[in-house]
Amino acid sequence: MRRTGRIALALPLLALGGAALWATTASPAAAPTGKPKRIVSLNLCADQLVLALADRDQIAGLTHNATDAEMSGEAAKARGLPLLSNSAEQILAIDPDLVIGMPARRSAAMRALKGHEYNMLDLDTANTVDEIYASIRQTAAAVGHPERGEALIARMQASLARLGKPGRGKVAAYYQRRGFMTGTGTLIDDLMQRVGLVNLAAKLGKPPLSQLSLEEMVAARPDYLIVESATDRVADQGTEMLHHPALAGIKRISIPQAWTVCGSPAYVEAAEAMAEQLDRSRAR
Amino acid sequence: MTFSRPLLLAGLLALTLVAAIGSILFGPVSLSLGRMLATFTGHGDPIANAILLELRLPRMVLGLAVGAMLGLAGAALQGYLRNPLAEPAVLGISNTAALGAVAALYFGLSQLHPAVLPVLAVLGAMLSLGVLFTLAGTSESPLTLILAGIAVATLASAGISLALNLSPNPFAAMEIMTWLLGSLENRSIDHVWIALPCIAVGMGLLLWDGRALDALTLGEDGAQALGVELRATRLRLLLGTAIGVGGAVAVSGAIGFVGLIVPHLVRPLTDRSPSAILLPSALGGAALLSFADLAVRLINTQNELKLGVVTAFLGVPVFLIHLMRERRLW
Repeated sequence: MRRTGRIALALPLLALGGAALWATTASPAAAPTGKPKRIVSLNLCADQLVLALADRDQIAGLTHNATDAEMSGEAAKARGLPLLSNSAEQILAIDPDLVIGMPARRSAAMRALKGHEYNMLDLDTANTVDEIYASIRQTAAAVGHPERGEALIARMQASLARLGKPGRGKVAAYYQRRGFMTGTGTLIDDLMQRVGLVNLAAKLGKPPLSQLSLEEMVAARPDYLIVESATDRVADQGTEMLHHPALAGIKRISIPQAWTVCGSPAYVEAAEAMAEQLDRSRAR
Repeated sequence: MTFSRPLLLAGLLALTLVAAIGSILFGPVSLSLGRMLATFTGHGDPIANAILLELRLPRMVLGLAVGAMLGLAGAALQGYLRNPLAEPAVLGISNTAALGAVAALYFGLSQLHPAVLPVLAVLGAMLSLGVLFTLAGTSESPLTLILAGIAVATLASAGISLALNLSPNPFAAMEIMTWLLGSLENRSIDHVWIALPCIAVGMGLLLWDGRALDALTLGEDGAQALGVELRATRLRLLLGTAIGVGGAVAVSGAIGFVGLIVPHLVRPLTDRSPSAILLPSALGGAALLSFADLAVRLINTQNELKLGVVTAFLGVPVFLIHLMRERRLW
């Protein structure tokens, strides 16, 4: 479970407390050596921020999933750029002047290169829109384009301000393959609150990731099921369960995983898609 | 101890009924008896209706049907091959059927027509049976067949892993586990319509052969002397096992050991003739799988417990005891 892994990784980080992390991580990136020319990203989420904020010729390496439209909201932009397989050799060959990861130090490749000093930027997992803004500011400063960061944040804030609360307090569940449900303290929960939905997981007092059987879901009767658009089609047993006839009566909102798996500018697209589908389902 | 046959059948039927009622009564959501009664008398609330009729009922029907099919296939194979270790999972029939189902699902073939899934599973089962019968036909030792079966099963499970690795599915590991260990979780009425016709045909063909199986205890020549058409018997057995097990595996995955233990459990209660254990094995299989599925639901684990885990814990000790007894034949 990719998402399980990400959340498991995010929890200890959150427990450490955001403030301490910002303090230790902001300094190396702010080195006044001009704009970095060979940026390497070690994380799919960092890829998206780098693509949104840096010039193409600054980017020396992205992760191998960066061009996968199912996983990354900036996949189209990543095409044609060098993709790395997270090997220490490739990083040695590039000799990057900025390495961005979540956190960069923890990646296997960087641990193998312990003796080498690289300028590193460690991003925190963003679970709210404010944390996304913080990541954007950090990355923009590190890649030498702080003004782009501010402009992007302003655009995002303007778009989000136009959204109403079409959810009107209805209950929704973010239901994933095999019955995993996303809970509070996650980006999904933040998105739900933004469009005026109540997270079923919060109502039931479930942890950030829990497994809810079909029976329990039927008994809980949420007004909406939010699903990944990749599961719209039955491809295997994991997705087949989301198409069980017992769920047929619950309205669905479908959004691409690429927009929600990372705290990235695609947050706006996810929120807009949710709001638009809520409007449509009410009009019907 | 030997019970009279009607008494044995009645007892097994009662056990099966208890298992069936249990799988309607228990699930992750506890429903009051009143709400359940309302549903079955046609005045239920929509939530209870959905839980009972769309979730628990299909699961109960599949548990009974798949269990009966596996138990019967085990009994028939043990009788025909005169080998106490023969059963669909040990001989690799379940795994090759699962391989067929996996091929249908993960390469998009099952979207062409709903029948593609069971058809490929049946073809997979038939392929392994063909190989096994060819191998077993010439061999004296009953262990040759078992070893060939283990080889076929291993190859098929490797094939399942490979097929899932080749398919563009990032969740392949989870799916491989479900197919190899079996599960009745989240089955719907659609699955019942896939499995039930196959299982009905398979069981019909296998029950037909009871008398021939009895005659076969005298050896093939003896059976022929008694007027058994060996070719027709073999064809019915092959088709019945392949169609029934194929249809069952297509919806439940490969559930091991039901076909092995059930005939051994019921045999001492009968006169030990192959025909006498066919029907009791089917009933016992239905009850055993339903109870195993009930255990899967009631034992609270973080991640859903797989059916094959429960049946393996029951089946492996039986398997080992028999293997030890057979050692003198190696």
